[in-house]
Amino acid sequence: MERLRQRWGYKKDNGMTTEIAFADIRSLRGLIRADRITPGELVSVFAERIAAHNAVSRAFITQTPQEAARSAAALTKEDILRSPVAGIPYASKDLFDVEGVRTTAGSRVFHDRIATEDAFVIARLRSAGALSMGKTNLHEFAYGATGENEVYGTCVNAYDPTRLAGGSSSGSAAAVAFGLVPAALGTDTGGSVRAPAALNGLVGLKPTIGCVPTHGVVPYCWTLDHVGILTRTVADCADILGLVARYDSRDPASVKLPKEDYSESLGEDISGVRIGIPSNFFFERSDPQILSALERVKDHLAEKGARLVPVTFPDMRHTRTVSLTVQMPEALSAHSAHLENRGELYSKEFRAGLALGQCLLAEHYVKAKRFIETYRQQTNALFEDVDVILTPATPEIAQKVGTVKTTRDGVDEAVGNAITRFTTFFNMTGHPALTMPCGLHPEGLPIGLQLVGRYFDEKSLFRVAHEIEKCGKFSIPLPEVDT
Amino acid sequence: MKPLTRSTLEGICSQMASHDWSQAELDELVDPRLGIITGFQDLLDELETLRKIDLGTTAPALGVQKR
Repeated sequence: MERLRQRWGYKKDNGMTTEIAFADIRSLRGLIRADRITPGELVSVFAERIAAHNAVSRAFITQTPQEAARSAAALTKEDILRSPVAGIPYASKDLFDVEGVRTTAGSRVFHDRIATEDAFVIARLRSAGALSMGKTNLHEFAYGATGENEVYGTCVNAYDPTRLAGGSSSGSAAAVAFGLVPAALGTDTGGSVRAPAALNGLVGLKPTIGCVPTHGVVPYCWTLDHVGILTRTVADCADILGLVARYDSRDPASVKLPKEDYSESLGEDISGVRIGIPSNFFFERSDPQILSALERVKDHLAEKGARLVPVTFPDMRHTRTVSLTVQMPEALSAHSAHLENRGELYSKEFRAGLALGQCLLAEHYVKAKRFIETYRQQTNALFEDVDVILTPATPEIAQKVGTVKTTRDGVDEAVGNAITRFTTFFNMTGHPALTMPCGLHPEGLPIGLQLVGRYFDEKSLFRVAHEIEKCGKFSIPLPEVDT
Repeated sequence: MKPLTRSTLEGICSQMASHDWSQAELDELVDPRLGIITGFQDLLDELETLRKIDLGTTAPALGVQKR
Protein backbone atom coordinates (compact mmCIF):
# COMPACT_ATOMS: atom_id res chain seq x y z
CA MET A 1 0.00 0.00 0.00
CA GLU A 2 2.91 2.36 0.72
CA ARG A 3 4.13 1.93 -2.86
CA LEU A 4 0.63 2.84 -3.99
CA ARG A 5 0.53 5.94 -1.85
CA GLN A 6 3.86 7.13 -3.24
CA ARG A 7 2.95 6.32 -6.81
CA TRP A 8 -0.47 7.91 -6.68
CA GLY A 9 0.71 10.91 -4.69
CA TYR A 10 -2.17 10.91 -2.26
CA LYS A 11 -1.73 11.96 1.33
CA LYS A 12 -4.72 10.10 2.66
CA ASP A 13 -5.75 6.51 2.10
CA ASN A 14 -9.30 7.58 1.44
CA GLY A 15 -8.45 9.73 -1.56
CA MET A 16 -6.38 7.07 -3.21
CA THR A 17 -8.65 4.15 -2.56
CA THR A 18 -11.80 6.04 -3.41
CA GLU A 19 -10.51 6.89 -6.87
CA ILE A 20 -9.60 3.26 -7.49
CA ALA A 21 -12.68 1.85 -5.81
CA PHE A 22 -15.11 3.72 -8.02
CA ALA A 23 -13.16 3.31 -11.25
CA ASP A 24 -14.68 1.19 -14.00
CA ILE A 25 -12.97 -1.99 -15.24
CA ARG A 26 -11.59 -0.40 -18.40
CA SER A 27 -9.90 2.32 -16.33
CA LEU A 28 -8.45 -0.21 -13.91
CA ARG A 29 -7.25 -2.30 -16.83
CA GLY A 30 -5.48 0.78 -18.20
CA LEU A 31 -3.77 1.35 -14.86
CA ILE A 32 -2.62 -2.26 -14.68
CA ARG A 33 -1.30 -2.28 -18.25
CA ALA A 34 0.49 1.03 -17.65
CA ASP A 35 2.08 -0.54 -14.56
CA ARG A 36 0.57 2.12 -12.31
CA ILE A 37 -0.97 -0.55 -10.14
CA THR A 38 -0.63 -4.32 -9.89
CA PRO A 39 -3.49 -6.82 -9.59
CA GLY A 40 -2.21 -7.70 -6.12
CA GLU A 41 -2.41 -4.05 -5.07
CA LEU A 42 -5.94 -3.84 -6.45
CA VAL A 43 -6.90 -6.84 -4.36
CA SER A 44 -5.45 -5.09 -1.28
CA VAL A 45 -7.40 -1.91 -1.95
CA PHE A 46 -10.71 -3.71 -2.39
CA ALA A 47 -10.06 -6.07 0.53
CA GLU A 48 -9.52 -3.06 2.80
CA ARG A 49 -12.72 -1.49 1.56
CA ILE A 50 -14.72 -4.66 2.08
CA ALA A 51 -13.38 -4.85 5.63
CA ALA A 52 -14.34 -1.22 6.21
CA HIS A 53 -17.80 -1.22 4.64
CA ASN A 54 -19.23 -4.71 4.97
CA ALA A 55 -20.68 -4.16 8.42
CA VAL A 56 -22.93 -1.42 7.00
CA SER A 57 -23.51 -2.62 3.46
CA ARG A 58 -23.89 -6.34 4.35
CA ALA A 59 -22.77 -6.97 0.78
CA PHE A 60 -20.57 -10.03 1.36
CA ILE A 61 -21.45 -13.34 2.99
CA THR A 62 -18.02 -14.87 2.32
CA GLN A 63 -14.84 -12.91 1.59
CA THR A 64 -11.95 -14.58 -0.25
CA PRO A 65 -9.21 -11.91 -0.61
CA GLN A 66 -6.41 -14.39 0.15
CA GLU A 67 -7.43 -16.61 -2.75
CA ALA A 68 -7.74 -13.52 -4.94
CA ALA A 69 -4.24 -12.38 -3.93
CA ARG A 70 -2.81 -15.81 -4.78
CA SER A 71 -4.47 -15.73 -8.20
CA ALA A 72 -3.23 -12.18 -8.74
CA ALA A 73 0.34 -13.19 -7.97
CA ALA A 74 0.16 -15.96 -10.55
CA LEU A 75 -0.83 -13.65 -13.42
CA THR A 76 1.84 -13.04 -16.06
CA LYS A 77 2.29 -10.01 -18.33
CA GLU A 78 0.86 -12.10 -21.15
CA ASP A 79 -2.20 -12.93 -19.06
CA ILE A 80 -2.77 -9.22 -18.43
CA LEU A 81 -2.67 -8.42 -22.12
CA ARG A 82 -4.83 -11.27 -23.39
CA SER A 83 -8.02 -10.59 -21.44
CA PRO A 84 -10.16 -7.55 -20.64
CA VAL A 85 -10.62 -8.68 -17.02
CA ALA A 86 -7.21 -10.09 -16.12
CA GLY A 87 -6.24 -8.82 -12.68
CA ILE A 88 -9.68 -7.31 -12.07
CA PRO A 89 -11.44 -8.14 -8.77
CA TYR A 90 -15.13 -9.09 -8.90
CA ALA A 91 -17.77 -10.77 -6.72
CA SER A 92 -20.56 -13.26 -7.36
CA LYS A 93 -23.96 -13.75 -5.78
CA ASP A 94 -23.83 -16.59 -3.31
CA LEU A 95 -25.72 -18.88 -5.68
CA PHE A 96 -22.69 -19.33 -7.96
CA ASP A 97 -20.39 -22.22 -7.14
CA VAL A 98 -16.75 -21.24 -6.70
CA GLU A 99 -14.57 -24.31 -6.19
CA GLY A 100 -13.55 -24.77 -2.57
CA VAL A 101 -15.79 -21.95 -1.32
CA ARG A 102 -19.10 -22.22 0.52
CA THR A 103 -22.27 -21.56 -1.50
CA THR A 104 -24.90 -20.62 1.09
CA ALA A 105 -27.65 -19.34 -1.22
CA GLY A 106 -28.30 -16.95 1.65
CA SER A 107 -29.84 -19.77 3.66
CA ARG A 108 -29.17 -21.87 6.74
CA VAL A 109 -30.03 -24.86 4.58
CA PHE A 110 -26.71 -24.56 2.69
CA HIS A 111 -24.59 -23.32 5.61
CA ASP A 112 -22.11 -26.17 5.06
CA ARG A 113 -22.27 -26.60 1.27
CA ILE A 114 -18.75 -26.32 -0.19
CA ALA A 115 -18.61 -26.17 -3.99
CA THR A 116 -16.54 -28.89 -5.62
CA GLU A 117 -16.23 -27.14 -8.99
CA ASP A 118 -16.71 -23.70 -10.50
CA ALA A 119 -19.99 -22.66 -12.08
CA PHE A 120 -19.63 -22.22 -15.85
CA VAL A 121 -19.37 -18.44 -15.69
CA ILE A 122 -16.98 -18.52 -12.73
CA ALA A 123 -14.72 -20.88 -14.67
CA ARG A 124 -14.85 -18.53 -17.67
CA LEU A 125 -13.87 -15.53 -15.54
CA ARG A 126 -11.19 -17.52 -13.72
CA SER A 127 -9.58 -18.55 -17.00
CA ALA A 128 -9.73 -14.91 -18.12
CA GLY A 129 -7.74 -13.87 -15.05
CA ALA A 130 -10.52 -12.17 -13.07
CA LEU A 131 -10.10 -12.32 -9.28
CA SER A 132 -12.99 -13.53 -7.12
CA MET A 133 -13.17 -11.47 -3.92
CA GLY A 134 -16.05 -13.43 -2.46
CA LYS A 135 -19.71 -14.29 -2.44
CA THR A 136 -22.44 -11.73 -2.04
CA ASN A 137 -25.61 -11.58 0.00
CA LEU A 138 -29.10 -12.19 -1.36
CA HIS A 139 -32.71 -12.84 -0.54
CA GLU A 140 -32.78 -16.48 0.62
CA PHE A 141 -32.57 -18.70 -2.48
CA ALA A 142 -33.39 -15.59 -4.57
CA TYR A 143 -37.00 -15.78 -3.36
CA GLY A 144 -37.83 -12.09 -3.05
CA ALA A 145 -36.92 -8.69 -4.43
CA THR A 146 -36.19 -6.71 -1.28
CA GLY A 147 -32.95 -8.48 -0.36
CA GLU A 148 -34.05 -8.86 3.25
CA ASN A 149 -32.22 -11.77 4.85
CA GLU A 150 -32.72 -12.84 8.45
CA VAL A 151 -29.51 -14.92 8.51
CA TYR A 152 -26.94 -12.71 6.80
CA GLY A 153 -28.52 -9.28 7.27
CA THR A 154 -30.20 -6.92 4.85
CA CYS A 155 -28.12 -5.04 2.27
CA VAL A 156 -28.62 -1.30 2.28
CA ASN A 157 -28.49 1.28 -0.46
CA ALA A 158 -25.18 3.08 -1.00
CA TYR A 159 -27.02 6.37 -1.60
CA ASP A 160 -28.96 6.14 1.67
CA PRO A 161 -28.25 3.35 4.15
CA THR A 162 -31.77 3.63 5.57
CA ARG A 163 -33.04 2.35 2.20
CA LEU A 164 -33.05 -1.09 0.62
CA ALA A 165 -30.45 -2.09 -1.94
CA GLY A 166 -33.19 -4.19 -3.56
CA GLY A 167 -32.85 -7.80 -4.57
CA SER A 168 -32.62 -10.54 -4.87
CA SER A 169 -29.01 -9.82 -5.99
CA SER A 170 -28.81 -7.28 -3.17
CA GLY A 171 -25.22 -7.99 -2.18
CA SER A 172 -23.93 -7.84 -5.75
CA ALA A 173 -25.52 -4.41 -6.21
CA ALA A 174 -24.33 -3.16 -2.83
CA ALA A 175 -20.80 -4.47 -3.45
CA VAL A 176 -20.43 -2.47 -6.66
CA ALA A 177 -22.32 0.59 -5.39
CA PHE A 178 -20.22 0.83 -2.19
CA GLY A 179 -17.01 0.56 -4.25
CA LEU A 180 -16.07 -2.87 -2.91
CA VAL A 181 -15.61 -4.42 -6.38
CA PRO A 182 -15.94 -2.95 -9.87
CA ALA A 183 -18.30 -5.67 -11.11
CA ALA A 184 -20.43 -8.53 -9.86
CA LEU A 185 -22.48 -11.45 -11.09
CA GLY A 186 -26.10 -11.93 -10.09
CA THR A 187 -29.11 -13.94 -11.10
CA ASP A 188 -32.35 -12.55 -12.47
CA THR A 189 -35.62 -14.52 -12.27
CA GLY A 190 -37.96 -11.53 -12.20
CA GLY A 191 -35.64 -8.54 -12.20
CA SER A 192 -33.18 -9.53 -9.49
CA VAL A 193 -30.20 -8.06 -11.33
CA ARG A 194 -31.86 -5.19 -13.17
CA ALA A 195 -33.91 -3.78 -10.30
CA PRO A 196 -31.15 -3.57 -7.67
CA ALA A 197 -28.77 -2.24 -10.33
CA ALA A 198 -31.28 0.53 -11.09
CA LEU A 199 -31.91 1.33 -7.43
CA ASN A 200 -28.15 1.68 -6.85
CA GLY A 201 -27.19 3.67 -9.96
CA LEU A 202 -25.48 0.78 -11.79
CA VAL A 203 -25.71 -0.96 -15.14
CA GLY A 204 -27.53 -4.31 -14.87
CA LEU A 205 -27.94 -6.80 -17.68
CA LYS A 206 -30.18 -9.82 -18.04
CA PRO A 207 -29.02 -11.37 -21.31
CA THR A 208 -31.29 -13.40 -23.59
CA ILE A 209 -32.33 -16.66 -22.00
CA GLY A 210 -29.88 -19.33 -23.13
CA CYS A 211 -27.12 -16.79 -23.85
CA VAL A 212 -25.18 -17.33 -20.60
CA PRO A 213 -25.18 -20.85 -19.12
CA THR A 214 -26.58 -21.38 -15.63
CA HIS A 215 -24.65 -24.57 -14.84
CA GLY A 216 -23.26 -24.42 -11.31
CA VAL A 217 -25.76 -21.81 -10.14
CA VAL A 218 -28.23 -22.89 -7.44
CA PRO A 219 -31.56 -22.97 -9.30
CA TYR A 220 -34.72 -21.24 -8.21
CA CYS A 221 -36.92 -21.54 -11.30
CA TRP A 222 -35.37 -23.09 -14.41
CA THR A 223 -37.87 -21.49 -16.78
CA LEU A 224 -37.12 -17.96 -15.61
CA ASP A 225 -33.60 -17.99 -14.14
CA HIS A 226 -30.96 -15.96 -15.98
CA VAL A 227 -27.34 -15.18 -15.09
CA GLY A 228 -26.81 -11.40 -15.06
CA ILE A 229 -24.04 -8.81 -14.79
CA LEU A 230 -23.74 -5.63 -12.69
CA THR A 231 -21.13 -3.01 -13.59
CA ARG A 232 -20.44 0.72 -13.44
CA THR A 233 -20.44 1.23 -17.19
CA VAL A 234 -22.04 -0.13 -20.32
CA ALA A 235 -18.65 -0.97 -21.85
CA ASP A 236 -17.65 -3.07 -18.82
CA CYS A 237 -20.92 -4.96 -19.10
CA ALA A 238 -20.31 -5.64 -22.81
CA ASP A 239 -16.77 -6.84 -22.09
CA ILE A 240 -17.91 -9.31 -19.43
CA LEU A 241 -20.78 -10.60 -21.55
CA GLY A 242 -18.25 -11.29 -24.30
CA LEU A 243 -16.44 -13.62 -21.92
CA VAL A 244 -19.37 -15.53 -20.43
CA ALA A 245 -21.78 -15.83 -23.37
CA ARG A 246 -20.98 -19.34 -24.58
CA TYR A 247 -22.70 -22.66 -25.20
CA ASP A 248 -22.72 -25.25 -22.41
CA SER A 249 -24.28 -28.65 -23.04
CA ARG A 250 -24.97 -29.05 -19.29
CA ASP A 251 -27.57 -26.25 -19.47
CA PRO A 252 -30.65 -27.41 -21.44
CA ALA A 253 -31.55 -23.79 -22.27
CA SER A 254 -28.08 -22.95 -23.60
CA VAL A 255 -28.03 -21.88 -27.26
CA LYS A 256 -25.14 -22.41 -29.69
CA LEU A 257 -24.27 -19.06 -31.21
CA PRO A 258 -21.23 -17.62 -32.95
CA LYS A 259 -18.81 -15.79 -30.64
CA GLU A 260 -19.75 -12.10 -30.44
CA ASP A 261 -17.74 -8.95 -29.78
CA TYR A 262 -20.39 -7.07 -27.83
CA SER A 263 -18.25 -3.95 -27.54
CA GLU A 264 -18.37 -3.52 -31.32
CA SER A 265 -21.56 -1.49 -31.15
CA LEU A 266 -20.33 0.93 -28.49
CA GLY A 267 -20.13 4.43 -29.89
CA GLU A 268 -22.18 3.62 -32.98
CA ASP A 269 -24.53 6.37 -34.10
CA ILE A 270 -28.14 5.69 -33.07
CA SER A 271 -29.64 7.67 -35.94
CA GLY A 272 -32.49 5.67 -37.44
CA VAL A 273 -32.74 3.23 -34.54
CA ARG A 274 -36.43 2.54 -33.86
CA ILE A 275 -37.17 2.78 -30.16
CA GLY A 276 -40.47 1.41 -28.94
CA ILE A 277 -42.30 3.40 -26.29
CA PRO A 278 -44.97 1.31 -24.56
CA SER A 279 -48.40 2.92 -24.56
CA ASN A 280 -49.68 0.63 -21.82
CA PHE A 281 -48.53 -0.71 -18.46
CA PHE A 282 -44.89 0.47 -18.34
CA PHE A 283 -45.46 4.19 -17.87
CA GLU A 284 -48.41 3.78 -15.53
CA ARG A 285 -48.67 4.12 -11.72
CA SER A 286 -45.10 5.39 -11.31
CA ASP A 287 -43.26 8.10 -9.40
CA PRO A 288 -43.69 11.30 -11.50
CA GLN A 289 -39.98 12.08 -11.11
CA ILE A 290 -39.14 8.75 -12.74
CA LEU A 291 -41.52 9.48 -15.61
CA SER A 292 -39.99 12.95 -16.07
CA ALA A 293 -36.50 11.44 -16.24
CA LEU A 294 -37.69 9.03 -18.91
CA GLU A 295 -39.18 11.92 -20.89
CA ARG A 296 -35.76 13.60 -20.91
CA VAL A 297 -34.18 10.40 -22.18
CA LYS A 298 -36.78 10.12 -24.94
CA ASP A 299 -36.08 13.72 -25.98
CA HIS A 300 -32.35 13.04 -26.11
CA LEU A 301 -32.74 9.89 -28.19
CA ALA A 302 -34.99 11.73 -30.62
CA GLU A 303 -32.43 14.57 -30.86
CA LYS A 304 -29.82 11.98 -31.79
CA GLY A 305 -31.97 10.75 -34.67
CA ALA A 306 -33.66 7.74 -33.11
CA ARG A 307 -37.28 7.19 -34.09
CA LEU A 308 -39.70 6.85 -31.19
CA VAL A 309 -42.45 4.39 -32.08
CA PRO A 310 -45.46 3.67 -29.85
CA VAL A 311 -45.91 -0.02 -29.06
CA THR A 312 -48.70 -1.80 -27.20
CA PHE A 313 -47.90 -4.78 -25.03
CA PRO A 314 -50.31 -7.69 -24.64
CA ASP A 315 -52.75 -7.76 -21.75
CA MET A 316 -50.43 -7.56 -18.72
CA ARG A 317 -53.06 -8.13 -16.01
CA HIS A 318 -52.18 -11.75 -15.36
CA THR A 319 -48.42 -11.66 -15.84
CA ARG A 320 -47.49 -11.83 -12.15
CA THR A 321 -49.88 -14.72 -11.59
CA VAL A 322 -48.41 -16.54 -14.57
CA SER A 323 -44.88 -15.96 -13.29
CA LEU A 324 -45.69 -17.11 -9.75
CA THR A 325 -47.48 -20.20 -11.04
CA VAL A 326 -44.33 -21.28 -12.81
CA GLN A 327 -41.94 -20.20 -10.05
CA MET A 328 -43.33 -21.97 -7.03
CA PRO A 329 -43.81 -25.52 -8.37
CA GLU A 330 -40.34 -25.35 -9.98
CA ALA A 331 -38.81 -24.05 -6.74
CA LEU A 332 -40.56 -26.83 -4.82
CA SER A 333 -39.19 -29.41 -7.21
CA ALA A 334 -35.68 -27.92 -6.97
CA HIS A 335 -35.84 -28.01 -3.16
CA SER A 336 -37.64 -31.32 -2.74
CA ALA A 337 -34.68 -33.30 -1.38
CA HIS A 338 -33.56 -30.50 0.94
CA LEU A 339 -37.09 -30.10 2.30
CA GLU A 340 -37.04 -33.75 3.27
CA ASN A 341 -33.65 -33.58 4.94
CA ARG A 342 -33.35 -30.02 6.24
CA GLY A 343 -36.85 -28.61 6.04
CA GLU A 344 -36.60 -26.95 9.44
CA LEU A 345 -33.68 -24.79 8.29
CA TYR A 346 -35.70 -22.87 5.69
CA SER A 347 -37.13 -19.47 6.57
CA LYS A 348 -40.86 -19.29 7.24
CA GLU A 349 -41.23 -17.04 4.21
CA PHE A 350 -39.66 -19.46 1.75
CA ARG A 351 -41.44 -22.50 3.21
CA ALA A 352 -44.74 -20.68 2.75
CA GLY A 353 -43.91 -20.12 -0.92
CA LEU A 354 -42.98 -23.77 -1.37
CA ALA A 355 -46.22 -24.86 0.32
CA LEU A 356 -48.08 -22.73 -2.19
CA GLY A 357 -46.19 -24.51 -4.96
CA GLN A 358 -47.40 -27.81 -3.52
CA CYS A 359 -51.03 -26.76 -3.80
CA LEU A 360 -51.10 -25.60 -7.41
CA LEU A 361 -52.37 -28.05 -9.99
CA ALA A 362 -50.36 -29.43 -12.88
CA GLU A 363 -52.91 -27.89 -15.25
CA HIS A 364 -52.24 -24.47 -13.71
CA TYR A 365 -48.51 -24.88 -14.29
CA VAL A 366 -48.87 -26.01 -17.91
CA LYS A 367 -51.39 -23.27 -18.65
CA ALA A 368 -48.99 -20.70 -17.23
CA LYS A 369 -46.22 -21.98 -19.49
CA ARG A 370 -48.56 -21.76 -22.46
CA PHE A 371 -49.30 -18.14 -21.51
CA ILE A 372 -45.57 -17.53 -21.48
CA GLU A 373 -45.39 -18.80 -25.04
CA THR A 374 -48.12 -16.35 -26.07
CA TYR A 375 -46.21 -13.52 -24.33
CA ARG A 376 -43.11 -14.49 -26.31
CA GLN A 377 -44.96 -14.51 -29.62
CA GLN A 378 -46.68 -11.20 -28.90
CA THR A 379 -43.44 -9.53 -27.80
CA ASN A 380 -41.56 -10.87 -30.83
CA ALA A 381 -44.26 -9.30 -32.99
CA LEU A 382 -43.49 -5.90 -31.44
CA PHE A 383 -39.90 -6.25 -32.59
CA GLU A 384 -41.09 -6.35 -36.21
CA ASP A 385 -41.55 -2.59 -35.90
CA VAL A 386 -38.87 -1.54 -33.41
CA ASP A 387 -35.25 -2.37 -32.58
CA VAL A 388 -35.27 -1.60 -28.86
CA ILE A 389 -38.00 -0.89 -26.30
CA LEU A 390 -37.57 1.76 -23.57
CA THR A 391 -39.29 1.57 -20.17
CA PRO A 392 -38.60 2.78 -16.65
CA ALA A 393 -36.57 0.18 -14.72
CA THR A 394 -38.74 0.45 -11.63
CA PRO A 395 -41.88 2.46 -10.82
CA GLU A 396 -40.44 3.58 -7.47
CA ILE A 397 -37.03 4.57 -6.11
CA ALA A 398 -35.37 2.51 -3.35
CA GLN A 399 -37.73 2.17 -0.38
CA LYS A 400 -36.91 2.38 3.32
CA VAL A 401 -35.69 -0.83 4.96
CA GLY A 402 -38.70 -2.53 6.52
CA THR A 403 -41.22 -1.11 4.06
CA VAL A 404 -43.95 -3.66 3.41
CA LYS A 405 -45.98 -1.96 0.72
CA THR A 406 -45.96 1.06 -1.53
CA THR A 407 -49.01 3.10 -2.46
CA ARG A 408 -49.23 4.87 -5.79
CA ASP A 409 -52.35 6.45 -7.26
CA GLY A 410 -54.40 4.87 -4.48
CA VAL A 411 -53.21 1.35 -5.23
CA ASP A 412 -51.31 -0.66 -2.60
CA GLU A 413 -48.60 -3.02 -3.79
CA ALA A 414 -46.17 -5.28 -1.92
CA VAL A 415 -42.78 -3.57 -2.11
CA GLY A 416 -41.15 -6.58 -3.77
CA ASN A 417 -43.83 -6.60 -6.46
CA ALA A 418 -43.38 -2.87 -7.03
CA ILE A 419 -39.60 -3.19 -7.39
CA THR A 420 -39.96 -5.81 -10.15
CA ARG A 421 -43.20 -4.68 -11.78
CA PHE A 422 -41.49 -3.60 -15.02
CA THR A 423 -38.84 -6.32 -15.17
CA THR A 424 -40.64 -9.62 -14.49
CA PHE A 425 -42.31 -9.86 -17.89
CA PHE A 426 -39.00 -10.16 -19.75
CA ASN A 427 -37.91 -13.16 -17.70
CA MET A 428 -40.95 -14.91 -19.10
CA THR A 429 -40.35 -13.80 -22.67
CA GLY A 430 -36.57 -14.30 -22.36
CA HIS A 431 -35.70 -11.09 -24.23
CA PRO A 432 -32.45 -9.33 -23.25
CA ALA A 433 -32.95 -6.33 -20.98
CA LEU A 434 -30.54 -3.78 -19.53
CA THR A 435 -31.09 -1.21 -16.82
CA MET A 436 -28.94 1.85 -16.22
CA PRO A 437 -29.10 5.14 -14.34
CA CYS A 438 -30.79 8.11 -16.02
CA GLY A 439 -31.06 10.66 -13.25
CA LEU A 440 -31.12 11.42 -9.57
CA HIS A 441 -34.43 11.72 -7.73
CA PRO A 442 -34.92 14.85 -5.54
CA GLU A 443 -34.68 12.44 -2.58
CA GLY A 444 -31.08 11.73 -3.62
CA LEU A 445 -31.63 8.24 -5.01
CA PRO A 446 -30.92 6.89 -8.49
CA ILE A 447 -33.58 6.64 -11.17
CA GLY A 448 -33.16 3.86 -13.73
CA LEU A 449 -34.37 3.07 -17.23
CA GLN A 450 -34.72 -0.29 -18.96
CA LEU A 451 -33.90 -1.16 -22.57
CA VAL A 452 -35.24 -4.40 -24.06
CA GLY A 453 -34.08 -5.99 -27.30
CA ARG A 454 -34.66 -8.83 -29.71
CA TYR A 455 -33.42 -12.29 -28.84
CA PHE A 456 -29.60 -12.36 -28.82
CA ASP A 457 -29.39 -8.72 -29.92
CA GLU A 458 -27.63 -7.44 -26.82
CA LYS A 459 -25.51 -5.28 -29.15
CA SER A 460 -28.45 -2.98 -29.87
CA LEU A 461 -29.00 -2.52 -26.14
CA PHE A 462 -25.34 -1.62 -25.66
CA ARG A 463 -25.45 0.76 -28.63
CA VAL A 464 -28.38 2.78 -27.26
CA ALA A 465 -27.27 2.49 -23.62
CA HIS A 466 -23.80 3.74 -24.50
CA GLU A 467 -25.26 6.79 -26.23
CA ILE A 468 -27.29 7.61 -23.11
CA GLU A 469 -24.24 7.10 -20.89
CA LYS A 470 -21.65 8.94 -22.96
CA CYS A 471 -23.71 12.10 -23.52
CA GLY A 472 -23.27 12.86 -19.81
CA LYS A 473 -26.74 14.39 -19.41
CA PHE A 474 -27.96 11.48 -17.31
CA SER A 475 -24.89 10.80 -15.19
CA ILE A 476 -25.40 10.72 -11.45
CA PRO A 477 -22.92 11.53 -8.67
CA LEU A 478 -21.19 8.72 -6.80
CA PRO A 479 -22.65 7.80 -3.42
CA GLU A 480 -20.90 9.41 -0.47
CA VAL A 481 -19.98 6.23 1.34
CA ASP A 482 -16.53 7.36 2.48
CA THR A 483 -17.46 10.54 4.32
CA MET B 1 -65.62 -22.48 -7.38
CA LYS B 2 -65.94 -22.76 -3.60
CA PRO B 3 -63.31 -21.13 -1.37
CA LEU B 4 -60.42 -23.35 -0.39
CA THR B 5 -60.60 -24.89 3.07
CA ARG B 6 -57.93 -26.35 5.31
CA SER B 7 -59.55 -29.77 5.20
CA THR B 8 -59.04 -29.82 1.43
CA LEU B 9 -55.34 -29.10 1.85
CA GLU B 10 -55.06 -31.62 4.67
CA GLY B 11 -56.64 -34.17 2.35
CA ILE B 12 -54.15 -33.38 -0.40
CA CYS B 13 -51.25 -33.66 2.01
CA SER B 14 -52.42 -36.91 3.59
CA GLN B 15 -53.89 -38.64 0.55
CA MET B 16 -51.47 -37.56 -2.18
CA ALA B 17 -47.68 -37.48 -2.26
CA SER B 18 -46.66 -34.32 -0.45
CA HIS B 19 -44.02 -32.82 1.75
CA ASP B 20 -44.81 -32.34 5.41
CA TRP B 21 -46.44 -28.97 5.96
CA SER B 22 -47.34 -27.80 9.43
CA GLN B 23 -50.88 -26.89 10.41
CA ALA B 24 -49.75 -23.26 10.64
CA GLU B 25 -48.44 -23.35 7.07
CA LEU B 26 -51.71 -24.77 5.77
CA ASP B 27 -53.65 -22.26 7.84
CA GLU B 28 -51.60 -19.46 6.29
CA LEU B 29 -52.62 -20.59 2.80
CA VAL B 30 -56.35 -20.63 3.47
CA ASP B 31 -56.55 -17.82 6.02
CA PRO B 32 -53.45 -15.60 5.88
CA ARG B 33 -52.73 -13.98 9.21
CA LEU B 34 -48.94 -13.76 9.36
CA GLY B 35 -48.58 -11.81 6.12
CA ILE B 36 -46.23 -14.42 4.69
CA ILE B 37 -48.58 -15.48 1.91
CA THR B 38 -51.28 -13.10 0.86
CA GLY B 39 -54.03 -13.86 -1.53
CA PHE B 40 -53.64 -17.57 -2.26
CA GLN B 41 -57.40 -17.69 -2.75
CA ASP B 42 -57.10 -14.68 -5.10
CA LEU B 43 -54.38 -16.52 -6.99
CA LEU B 44 -56.59 -19.58 -7.36
CA ASP B 45 -59.48 -17.42 -8.54
CA GLU B 46 -57.26 -15.77 -11.12
CA LEU B 47 -55.93 -19.14 -12.24
CA GLU B 48 -59.50 -20.28 -12.74
CA THR B 49 -60.01 -17.28 -15.02
CA LEU B 50 -56.86 -18.18 -16.94
CA ARG B 51 -57.88 -21.84 -17.16
CA LYS B 52 -61.00 -20.82 -19.04
CA ILE B 53 -59.11 -18.80 -21.65
CA ASP B 54 -58.69 -20.93 -24.75
CA LEU B 55 -55.12 -20.77 -26.04
CA GLY B 56 -55.87 -23.08 -28.96
CA THR B 57 -52.92 -25.30 -29.79
CA THR B 58 -50.27 -23.04 -28.24
CA ALA B 59 -47.58 -25.26 -26.73
CA PRO B 60 -45.86 -24.51 -23.41
CA ALA B 61 -42.81 -22.24 -23.69
CA LEU B 62 -39.55 -24.06 -24.31
CA GLY B 63 -36.19 -22.64 -25.45
CA VAL B 64 -35.70 -19.59 -27.65
CA GLN B 65 -33.82 -19.21 -30.91
CA LYS B 66 -32.32 -16.25 -32.72
CA ARG B 67 -34.87 -14.55 -34.94
